[in-house]
Amino acid sequence: MKTAGRILGTAFFREGYEVQDAPRYGAERRGAPIFAFVRADKNPILERGIIRRPDLAVVADDTLAPMPSAGVLAGMDGHSLMLINSHETAETWRGRLALPGRVLVLPASAEVEVEGRAALPQVGAACAGAAARLVGVIGPDALAAAIRDELGHLGEGVVADNLGVASHAYDLLAAEAGAVTERPPQAADAWQSPDWIDLPFEGAGISAPAIHAGLTSELMQTGLWRTMRPVIDPERCNHCWWVCSTFCPDSAISVDGKGNPHIDYDHCKGCLVCLAQCPPHAIRAVPEQREQGRE
Amino acid sequence: MSETRFTNVKQLPSVHLLGSGSPMCAGCGGLEALHQVYDILGTNTVFVNAAGCMTLLAVYPFTPFRGSWLYTAMASAPAGAQGIRDALDVLKERRGLPPEEDMQVVVLTGDGSAYGMGLSATSGAIERGLDFLYLCYDNEGYGNTGQQSSAATPHGARTATDLTGIGFHGEKKPLFDIWAAHRPPYVATVIGSEPLDLARKIEKAKAIKGPRLIIALSPCPTGWGFDPQESVAIGKLAVNTGVWPLKEYVDGKVVHTKIPRRRVPVASYLEAQGRFAHLFKPERNEAVLAEIQARVDGYWAGVEEVVAPPTPTLPQGGRG
Ligand SMILES: Cc1ncc(C[n+]2csc(CCOP(=O)(O)OP(=O)(O)O)c2C)c(N)n1
Ligand code: SF4
Ligand code: SF4
Ligand code: SF4
Ligand SMILES: [Mg+2]
Repeated sequence: MKTAGRILGTAFFREGYEVQDAPRYGAERRGAPIFAFVRADKNPILERGIIRRPDLAVVADDTLAPMPSAGVLAGMDGHSLMLINSHETAETWRGRLALPGRVLVLPASAEVEVEGRAALPQVGAACAGAAARLVGVIGPDALAAAIRDELGHLGEGVVADNLGVASHAYDLLAAEAGAVTERPPQAADAWQSPDWIDLPFEGAGISAPAIHAGLTSELMQTGLWRTMRPVIDPERCNHCWWVCSTFCPDSAISVDGKGNPHIDYDHCKGCLVCLAQCPPHAIRAVPEQREQGRE
Repeated sequence: MSETRFTNVKQLPSVHLLGSGSPMCAGCGGLEALHQVYDILGTNTVFVNAAGCMTLLAVYPFTPFRGSWLYTAMASAPAGAQGIRDALDVLKERRGLPPEEDMQVVVLTGDGSAYGMGLSATSGAIERGLDFLYLCYDNEGYGNTGQQSSAATPHGARTATDLTGIGFHGEKKPLFDIWAAHRPPYVATVIGSEPLDLARKIEKAKAIKGPRLIIALSPCPTGWGFDPQESVAIGKLAVNTGVWPLKEYVDGKVVHTKIPRRRVPVASYLEAQGRFAHLFKPERNEAVLAEIQARVDGYWAGVEEVVAPPTPTLPQGGRG
């Protein structure tokens, strides 16, 4: 997503816009949700910081949409358009998320529909290409040049793959060119101060962090990072020396009194180390989206 | 006599102490080693953590530990450990802290601290005979800030600060030897992909008093460029190619705990990682590959000599 933001920002820049683009990560690591934002204007941009009311929100992984901590819905109003990478319909998402504005689904080819979209190759490029078309002011040459600028150091093959995917998305959205428009400037008297909480100065005994209970990390649902889900076949599991549980970096596999391993899907990050190491190959991977659809 | 309760993989813990839900990358080799180490050390452990990826384990108000954790600057984790050890000793002497409530003080840092910024503080702590265990998870770079080169980066690896040419020109610093040269009671190398070897060493270290130092090579999908599911496979390759010798320094002697019987060519370890991809594509850099292989061969030639001294050739009679 960081790269998608950079491609879009660079494409705007090549079309003569002033641009800000920046990714935002939390403290979390690879696999955790991140977002990037792009702000473009023909005039110098004086605003700073993250975008509070987006004209366009692009969601690369639809499992993030209902997740409050991912903040996908932050600031979305009737003017905001959401472009979502999903095998479900725009109407479904509009209803599910109770969005006042328009929703479009990132178009993709038929075989992708079946296999789950988070694993879509070059999903970032597809998002950048689609967004470039939706804003209506970026031509195909600027898009191609931006992809070269941002990915050129990775070699011609990578550039060609991404260019193909981005152009495809760009072309498929031709009918929606310009669907995203700049919102009218906000009047000063409509400005609302953020929901800040004033914290008075307190002595270290009160303000210094102390955690009085162990294992509070278990409140974090890192299972939401997963794009592929490991599934143990109990018929095949030969109750080895719990290889899966020993190697799982995230303590997400427990072994019961009978020697049966159980995966904690609230916390399994989907690294698939267990699958790669299980001696009798009793663990397989299934696309997370398909499993969630089934549940 | 067996000096360890871990003689068989079946004896490894199947219940784990480290909590899930931490912010480390999926497939993190360092986290894998830490969870195995924590299982052996047990809950009476207090961690002193210098800045690095693992600092994020305990981001307020979340922690995967069952006990205390202290954050220090990169260079000063052993100094933090001294403070905690002293406090525990005071509690023991003056407040009657029962022995079963005493704690293992564990310094947990990355290689950036252990091999570089924190080396001076560690040297001082060993000199003072501080009763602590140092666990360095070595992902061969400054992982938390985007994998810049550190003193633990191997020759030829590309990092965020060595993006071009052959990558990092320097050599990985021999931290094991530097620590061992201080003559502490125990130094060892471990890796999460060899859990039995790891368990034995941590159990041994746990029973010893004084400075005990452990380096865990920690395959890092993000910094080394491989698919998270390969994490353990890459660790096993590090051992089987001889790149990561499993050994311990105890009673003034270095003992290798696992000698790969037939060493796999180093190229198969390197080729599996994005950080070495430039040594294979667009064409194989035979010169650098041979150089890396020769260094590994040279190391093991020295070891094999000690382990199995060549049978002296007896003077042959009747010659000439
Ligand atoms: C004195 C100092 N310099 C730089 C930093 C910034 N910093 C935070 S974590 C980190 C990387 C530490 O590398 P390492 O010890 O190998 O741990 P890793 O991130 O790889 O887990 C750096 C440079 C710092 N916190 N303190
Ligand atoms: S995929 Fe397997 S090894 Fe990885 S976090 Fe999930 S259960 Fe653990
Ligand atoms: S590694 Fe495979 S065989 Fe062993 S306990 Fe896990 S699922 Fe069963
Ligand atoms: S960057 Fe590497 S060491 Fe750090 S959390 Fe990720 S995998 Fe682990
Ligand atoms: Mg490091």
